[in-house]
Amino acid sequence: MAQNVSYLGMIPLLPLIGAAVVGILHLATCKKKRLPDQLYAVLACSTPILTFVLAVKVFFDLNGLPVDGRALTHEVFTWFEVGEMNISMGFLADPLSSLMLLFVTFTASLIHIYSIGYMAGDESFAKFFAYLNLFLGSMLILVLGNGPVVMFVGWEGVGLCSYLLISYYSEDRSNVLAGNKAFIVNRIGDFGFVLGMAFLFWAIGDSGFDYISLKTNAHMLAPATVTLVCLLLFVGATGKSAQIPLYVWLPDAMAGPTPVSALIHAATMVTAGVYMVARFSFLYVHVPTVGLIVAWTGILTALVSAIYGMFQNDIKKVLAYSTVSQLGYMFAGVGLAAYSAGIFHVFTHAFFKALLFLGAGSVIYALHHEQNIWKMGGLKTKLPLTYKTMLIGSLALAGCPPFSGFFSKDEILYSALASGHTGIWVVGVLVAGMTAYYTFRMIFVVFHGSPRDAHAYEHAHEPPAVMTVPLVILAIGALFAGFLNLPSLFGGSQQVTHWLAPSLAEHAHEASHSIEIIAIAASVAAFAIGIFIAYRKFGKGAEEPVYSGFSSFAYHTFRINELYDVLFVRPYKAIGSAIGNLIDAHVTDGPVQLIVWFYRQFGSTFKLLQVGYVRVYAIYMIIGLSVMSYLLTQSFK
Amino acid sequence: MIHDYLSLSILLFCLGILGVISRRNVFTVFMSVELMLNAANLAFIALARLHENMDGHVLAMLVMAVAAAEAALALAVVILLHKHTGKVDTNVFSLLKG
Repeated sequence: MAQNVSYLGMIPLLPLIGAAVVGILHLATCKKKRLPDQLYAVLACSTPILTFVLAVKVFFDLNGLPVDGRALTHEVFTWFEVGEMNISMGFLADPLSSLMLLFVTFTASLIHIYSIGYMAGDESFAKFFAYLNLFLGSMLILVLGNGPVVMFVGWEGVGLCSYLLISYYSEDRSNVLAGNKAFIVNRIGDFGFVLGMAFLFWAIGDSGFDYISLKTNAHMLAPATVTLVCLLLFVGATGKSAQIPLYVWLPDAMAGPTPVSALIHAATMVTAGVYMVARFSFLYVHVPTVGLIVAWTGILTALVSAIYGMFQNDIKKVLAYSTVSQLGYMFAGVGLAAYSAGIFHVFTHAFFKALLFLGAGSVIYALHHEQNIWKMGGLKTKLPLTYKTMLIGSLALAGCPPFSGFFSKDEILYSALASGHTGIWVVGVLVAGMTAYYTFRMIFVVFHGSPRDAHAYEHAHEPPAVMTVPLVILAIGALFAGFLNLPSLFGGSQQVTHWLAPSLAEHAHEASHSIEIIAIAASVAAFAIGIFIAYRKFGKGAEEPVYSGFSSFAYHTFRINELYDVLFVRPYKAIGSAIGNLIDAHVTDGPVQLIVWFYRQFGSTFKLLQVGYVRVYAIYMIIGLSVMSYLLTQSFK
Repeated sequence: MIHDYLSLSILLFCLGILGVISRRNVFTVFMSVELMLNAANLAFIALARLHENMDGHVLAMLVMAVAAAEAALALAVVILLHKHTGKVDTNVFSLLKG
């Protein structure tokens, strides 16, 4: 049924080749005369663009197939065969992965191009692009993998690249620590993922461990196993997609260069958890309780990080918390079995959040690496194009109709209301208001009012076209992407939902238009209230607030990092040093030392025989010969 | 008759052993070793006569040749040792003491 097409293997391979070529050229020449940056730029940017072309081809090939047979597969080679476990390095493109493929390669291409401008003049320009290409290759393996194991390869690959790129400016120790934190926190999540995979294999792995076989055999699973597997996989998702309790790494990940924040920590990698839950929708749909846990975790993460976002001073931190918050929405969507709504939010979010981060990047670039919003102000006149595109991104993020974020967020909130989870819906609407507030707080403080730092303001200038053109393209996406899934209320036909339907085990919520209108009215009202409060407080210029009481507590993110430090990090270190100093030195090393002592005693006993005098050795020889002769004569008798 | 020869041979051999293990002078030790070799030669010759074949004679000649070679080598070693330490006392050379 599934069609075998060989070009599928090329899609992840191209960026990996790009990474290898750029990386080797860089390593070979960095000690001597450097090759021109333009060469690296062309090499590194060509691969995402080529993969985008291939992604479009995948889309049209799938579109040409009948609805229930929309799957392209390609098995490149058998990876390993152990007992009953037969894992092949194979790829699968179905409607879900093709949608992911399209926006991942699209945003990646734009961000690669943008990076040419942003990273210009950087010491290790080529290294940066090699990492970016490596990231893209891993991400495409993650998206296209035909089973959990291949997905896990990509999953770890993107984690590695995330680590490498967070610690990119490695001269600064705090950046390295941020990279370590991201890596370690992700390990905790990966542990859950691996365990979940192991349980799944243990239960139904014998008859094939790719999505298609798993889907057919899912009915053989015991309900308890499904619950366990889904919970463990979700632990993996909380790590990668920065949900409670493992979200702490994402705000710190902003230490990386801004294009990295846009590509990895906003548009693509962090949505891997949502993609994974949607991928395993054939399991999650059977355990609504786990779904509810997922949804509540998501919406609470959205709430908590929106509160943090309202009190941040760093432009990238504001966006980081808004990313965590939007990821929370996505999990609320997929948790409530509205998989297509969650994935659609992933899709639109990629456009507007990449846009916002790149816009923030061009502000930071214009102000020579100033990130504190209270040192900006009035930049509207100096950076008109950046202002306009960021305004579009902000409106999309805040959920203003008819921008893309409005449709996707609204669909999640609508499914919460329609499926009767009023609590989630209420929190969701509240978060929508808060999102509008903190987004426009940022816009007003950065672009409106009077300049707070006259010197920086004077020197600010619009970045080159290589950076602004991607902004404009993404702005167009942020503006119109929502129309791809226009609900029937507005005369649309929900094309994305229908496109995704064969990949997802989704039951459509049939609800009246009246509930839909209530949901829309509530979120538009929340948006309006949020933006109104932001305008009243910051619209006409405001001074940097002094945080005290609750706001100080929220500025310090509820002291969660300190709490984790006390609860986990310090006990862990204490246990480590206890093991090192006590158990290892005395318990583990004891028997070893005992054996050493025994041999030493044994040796020093025999040492007494070695007196060193020739005469004594002669006596030994005679004794030996005598004994031998005696034994010989005995044996001849 | 043969007992007398063999008894003499054993006596000489034991004297040699006694000399090797009790004396400290390198030359005395060396001479004792030669005594042991000659005790063995005596036993070879006596037994060769008893059995009336030449094997024992051959071996005795071989032992003499080896003894001559060994004497040349051993005396050279002794001279070197004496050059190093100025002594010919075996107790001085006890580097192998554990």
